[in-house]
Amino acid sequence: MSNPMIEVEKLHKSFGQNEILKGITLTIEKGEKVVIIGPSGSGKSTLLRCLNYLELPTAGTVKINGEYFVEPGKKYNENHVAKLRTNIGMVFQRFNLFPTMTALENVMAALTKVRQKSTTEARQIATRYLEKVGLADRMNHYPSQLSGGQQQRIAIARSLAMEPEAMLFDEATSALDPELVGEVLNVIRELAEEGMTMVLVTHEMSFAQEVGDRVIFMDDGLIIESGSPDQLFRNPQHDRTKTFLQRLKH
Amino acid sequence: MNLHFPTAFQELTPQLLKALGVVASLTLAGFALALVIAMLIALGRLSQSRFLDRILIVFLEIVRGTPLLVQLLYVYYVLPELIKLIMRIWIPDYQLTISAFTAGVIGLGINYGCYMSEVIRSSIAAIDKGQTEAALALGYTNRQAMWNIVIPQSFRISLPTLANYFIMMIKDTSLVAFITLQEIILTTQSYASQTFLTIESYTLAALAYLILSIPLGQGVRILERRLNRHV
Repeated sequence: MSNPMIEVEKLHKSFGQNEILKGITLTIEKGEKVVIIGPSGSGKSTLLRCLNYLELPTAGTVKINGEYFVEPGKKYNENHVAKLRTNIGMVFQRFNLFPTMTALENVMAALTKVRQKSTTEARQIATRYLEKVGLADRMNHYPSQLSGGQQQRIAIARSLAMEPEAMLFDEATSALDPELVGEVLNVIRELAEEGMTMVLVTHEMSFAQEVGDRVIFMDDGLIIESGSPDQLFRNPQHDRTKTFLQRLKH
Repeated sequence: MNLHFPTAFQELTPQLLKALGVVASLTLAGFALALVIAMLIALGRLSQSRFLDRILIVFLEIVRGTPLLVQLLYVYYVLPELIKLIMRIWIPDYQLTISAFTAGVIGLGINYGCYMSEVIRSSIAAIDKGQTEAALALGYTNRQAMWNIVIPQSFRISLPTLANYFIMMIKDTSLVAFITLQEIILTTQSYASQTFLTIESYTLAALAYLILSIPLGQGVRILERRLNRHV
């Protein structure tokens, strides 16, 4: 029984003359964990950023829970796009915490501003999610006083506090020192176990294999191959996938 | 030649204090107007409209290409005449005079607004795009992201520079003497020409400016240190 959370249809994206996405059609089911891999410049981050309309597609549509960001033939409505975005959390490679706010304030900001919660309620919710990522004791620290791993966990808490139905991870561990990757992956793994719908762009192949229900290999703006981690990593069908995986081993 | 500082101090100081009040209120009002103008120009130039950007660039070039003194004279003497000329098309005996103080506020506000708009614009542009993206991803609208996330951060970058502009404006109020406002220079000038205590009078005038600018300069330095604590 199909229960789509995110539906992408014939998605194209160009920056000037440069076509980055060349027609992507993709459905992500509720609770599914999809990992996107591929060489750099293949368009995987751009695709992820189109899923919450941080990048506006040049052509094609994106639906969240059956609702279009921009219905075909209709005009871009900023308020509608902003409202749909609250259903999808996003975690960035460079954390993008607000540097002038403490960890707690970072998590509270959107709760009061976007969700219109009272300060007391926002504080309760924020504290709960900071506890979830194991950083309740750091809530009054500023981002500059925290390690990269801690900052990324705060960023995850900030997204989760909005209680999204899906989470997007854009190379969430790529900017971290190797010894800090584990603590962030643990938080993501825990989320996966709780059944959160997730789309991850990552270079952590073993992690992709572990949490992914489906792995998508992208190259040159197209989905080349997709399948279960076992299938794709052990028995890739396409030459480009083979070459890519082969190169990773060295 | 004898110096008569005690006399000059006794006679001129009360007048200078009054003038200092004029300078303070002129600066406060002028700076408030400058901030509003600077913000509007900065946001206008950062907007998507290239047409608006072009117009604002022309305006900036005109203001930055002419001396503040000329602008003050223009606002005080020419602007009311121009407005009268236009208004009389509809209302036959339309009258308009603006006070030297108002002209000073407008002149200083526009001139400083143009320079400060560049400070504000570049400080907004200096904020990492990731900040806006994080806010948008959390469901902020563009306007909310700008006003709640980007501008507060950019303000910390621009605040010390803006505070220095404030101190510069205090000193530039001396130019408003040319459009007859009784501020420090005009007050000093009339006292000096009556008493011939030239050295004493102008020395006191200089001290009057320093009383305002030195503590404020120190304040800016403290502010700068505080703002950089967490970033």
